Amino acid sequence: MKLAWREIKNSKVRFIILGSIVFLVSLLTFIISGLANGLSADNASLIKDLPEGHIFMSEDADEMYNMSRIDRGTEKKLLNEREDASVFSIQMGFMNDGNEKQHSVAFVTSTGSDLFNHVEAGEVILDRSFEGEGIQVGDVLTNNQFSGEFIVKGFVDQKKFSHAPVAYINIDNYREMYRVEEMQLAFIPEGESSFEIAGLQSFTNQEFLNTIPSYSAEQMSLNMIVWFLVIISGMLFGIFFYMMNVQKIGLYGILKAIGLKTGDLFKMMWTQMLFITFISLVLSAVISQVFNGIAPEGMPFNLTMETTVQLSVVFLITGFIGSTISGIQIKKVEPLQAIQQGEV
Amino acid sequence: MSIFTMDKVKKSFTNGEVEEEILKGISLTLKEGEITALVGASGSGKSTLLTIAAGLQNASEGKIIFEGENINALNQEQIRKIRAKEFGFVFQFAHLVPFLTVEEQLMLMLDIAESKLVKKDRVREVERILELVEMDHRKTAYPSSLSGGEKQRVAVARAMIHQPKILFADEPTASLDSKRSKDVMTLIRNLTKEQKVTTLMVTHDEEMLTYADHVINMRDGVVFKEESAGVY
Repeated sequence: MKLAWREIKNSKVRFIILGSIVFLVSLLTFIISGLANGLSADNASLIKDLPEGHIFMSEDADEMYNMSRIDRGTEKKLLNEREDASVFSIQMGFMNDGNEKQHSVAFVTSTGSDLFNHVEAGEVILDRSFEGEGIQVGDVLTNNQFSGEFIVKGFVDQKKFSHAPVAYINIDNYREMYRVEEMQLAFIPEGESSFEIAGLQSFTNQEFLNTIPSYSAEQMSLNMIVWFLVIISGMLFGIFFYMMNVQKIGLYGILKAIGLKTGDLFKMMWTQMLFITFISLVLSAVISQVFNGIAPEGMPFNLTMETTVQLSVVFLITGFIGSTISGIQIKKVEPLQAIQQGEV
Repeated sequence: MSIFTMDKVKKSFTNGEVEEEILKGISLTLKEGEITALVGASGSGKSTLLTIAAGLQNASEGKIIFEGENINALNQEQIRKIRAKEFGFVFQFAHLVPFLTVEEQLMLMLDIAESKLVKKDRVREVERILELVEMDHRKTAYPSSLSGGEKQRVAVARAMIHQPKILFADEPTASLDSKRSKDVMTLIRNLTKEQKVTTLMVTHDEEMLTYADHVINMRDGVVFKEESAGVY
């Protein structure tokens, strides 16, 4: 511990350089992770905000929610059997405001469940992002597939689907617009995995999210970047301590010759790794959390403390593995070799 | 009184298919408080003998008895403990830890030797030994700011701070000029006599033999001649 600290103090520049690289890599990882979470919420907060449960779509829909149809008989049976069940539909579409400006929306309607907002016929509840576009409660919106008008009844926070703001409409208006009687999906909160409905395929919330093509492609790319950065940070530690160890092989040999335990040399390296990583992670976590608070409106960024802590733990583990692998040299150092070499 | 004996110690290395015998059955005894010098031409096996005696490599055959125990039969951890607590080392180069001050080098050695001294006594002991090697005025200096002679004096202090029973010195003056060599040897002699430390030293410098009580001359892996003090 003392040795580790003395070396850091004596070789400040070297350790500051490593710390800066770890700081930048971890900051980038936190920011990309925040974007991944933000985009995930922007893409599917409607589904992500649902409690854990099971979503059902018809088997012949080939895992595409917009092709799914739940026939009225099944719907009735399901709602009778499970009071907490809900049947709902999502359709991408447009709404025009008073200035004939077109707004992309995800129309959502459902049977009487508290999990979704409900409105009377001719009313709509919108995602709050509409407020930023100048829409107010009482404004009138239209849709070219709907014979009537929608009066804005209110707004809800962060309800998006497929990057479009959600518009909750009445089930009768939905049926008129899309000329369908059946709903697309059913949701049962805390549903048992064994709960089966003939003709319907069951998905957990996460499985359902993965059936949304844009969602899985987007998340997979971002998560791949996050994991690459984590691996790079582990390699950075490995390379850095490898270089340091190569330079200090003579010294390690002499210390071993005079009786220092190999374990103490490892402890010295681990202490330095933990010290650098901890400082770098605290700095990057603070900066990314500040960014989380001041991220521009409309930027899909959401970095929770939980994610930050989880990623930090992963960074510590990869740093530990990287430095330990490079430390195998320490174990191999022969005191005799060091003595026969020149001055360290 | 003998504290350390080597009995028919052999060491051979395999070089390709050829087995080369470096030490051919060496026996010697080190007496408490005496300085024994190993001399001989390059390749005579003196450095190999010293490193085997110090537990830095194993002998192929023979016994190395220290305080009644055969070091050659111990495992690595047992040998490490003996090296840390009972032996002191001075090498051709000082090999000081570059990021520790002079006093920290000595404190580290006390830690390695698992010294039972409390912090206050450790500080006092460091001050005492630094005064003996006349380095007390440089106790906060780093190795990079010390001269070759000063570094070697610190190395001697590090080798003696934990009161070892045996000091192994491998050409301790080889990197120093004549005057500094004499200073360092005087220091080793005074300290070993004061602390009753037994010393085994390898040297190729005949001038340094005047500091030894006993001289073992080696040739081709065997003891060629043994002489006592006053001969040189």
